[in-house]
Amino acid sequence: MLDILHDTEIIGVITLTLRMTLLSTFISSAVGIPAGLLLERSDFAGKRFVVALNRTLMASPPVVIGLVVYLLLMRRGPLGFLGLLFTFEAMVVAQVLLLTPIICGMVYTAASRNAGRIRAFAQTMGANSRQTHVLTARELSNEIYFAVVTGFGRAMSEVGAIMIVGGNIRFHTRTMTTSISMLRNQGEINQAIYLGAVLMLIAFSVTMTTDFLRRREQRTDENF
Amino acid sequence: MKISNLRKNYEHFALNIESMEIRPGRVYGIIGQNGCGKTTAMKLLAGLTPPDSGSLDYEGLTPRDITMVFRKPYILNDTVVNNLVYPLKLRGITPHNGELDHYLELAELAGHREAYAPGLSGGQQQKLALVRALIFSPKLIFIDEAFSNMDIESVAKFENYILHRQTTHPTTWVIISHQLSNIKRLCSYIYFMYNGSVDAHGAAEKILSSPENANLRRYLQHEGM
Repeated sequence: MLDILHDTEIIGVITLTLRMTLLSTFISSAVGIPAGLLLERSDFAGKRFVVALNRTLMASPPVVIGLVVYLLLMRRGPLGFLGLLFTFEAMVVAQVLLLTPIICGMVYTAASRNAGRIRAFAQTMGANSRQTHVLTARELSNEIYFAVVTGFGRAMSEVGAIMIVGGNIRFHTRTMTTSISMLRNQGEINQAIYLGAVLMLIAFSVTMTTDFLRRREQRTDENF
Repeated sequence: MKISNLRKNYEHFALNIESMEIRPGRVYGIIGQNGCGKTTAMKLLAGLTPPDSGSLDYEGLTPRDITMVFRKPYILNDTVVNNLVYPLKLRGITPHNGELDHYLELAELAGHREAYAPGLSGGQQQKLALVRALIFSPKLIFIDEAFSNMDIESVAKFENYILHRQTTHPTTWVIISHQLSNIKRLCSYIYFMYNGSVDAHGAAEKILSSPENANLRRYLQHEGM
């Protein structure tokens, strides 16, 4: 069915896409979740500015982020000596810069709404500082999960930034989205649709699996 | 517990409690109109809000000895029984099944042991929050309108329980309620708040039957007493 992308190549593209998406989501979550919780908890001069900056970065166009990373990593750029341009790592860096503000911002918003009540409750129960932090994270786990899934979806569907810093190099930095974009440019619409459907299926499977695992731990609402 | 010159300023409201004394083993009531500062005062007393100035002497009580139950209690995203045991878990105490059953029956939640607690009705959540506050035997309990969503029978049941518990395990209670029948039945001493200050205080029987303070008289008339 596919002329340009042979089966083994497709598997390579899918594997690369999943590796990049999962790694960048993991790094962004590891940074963004604590940052969001910390931002809610802290009170400092300039907090409003930091929140506004975060909101701006949440909506930043991927191509702009891609361009910034490109300028940093290009041979004559400040980080050019690392030799990361047009590599898997460069794509992960770009995605982390895109995803972290989204996850941080979503966690911050959820925490702003509920964390105060959770902390007050923990105090009335006699929880110490560590127990309060654990409870806050646990009680916000639904919102945190939603932020991570949103980040994952963004990483999965991203094309602009990784195209600029990855270069869509065959067998090297070609992902599913960059392949779809390339196929469309070449007029191979059917193949682009086929790959798009596979991408949707993967995204659906991953989110359904994580959703299922979470639901196993939770109970449905009951009203009496 | 002794409070003196406690102040807290907000943009449109100022709380100023010159003096208040909470003696161990007694049940106190705080009454007053909406917006007079009852909840703010209670949060300050419970240590949930820091005062701008003044002193709070807990006379040896630690934060672990004090609890507060709100009108809209926070219910953990967990089962009823896990909500109930939460304060015990924090203290590394393994609960006995008999003890859990006792409190679940008091809250009329024995049949909902494994139910998802945030799915309970408002009244059931208040009952759960009350027994959750009782299970770890705190020495000082603040109650802010915590009976407001309960049916009359449940309120009477909790009142009876509190009165009985006071004879076996005397605990200090500070109760805010607009239902003066609760206050009358449970409290031995009352603080009446007006416009951010304690306007009148005294033994419950005396202050409710023959109020000398004009604001308190008006408030009681308003509440149908």
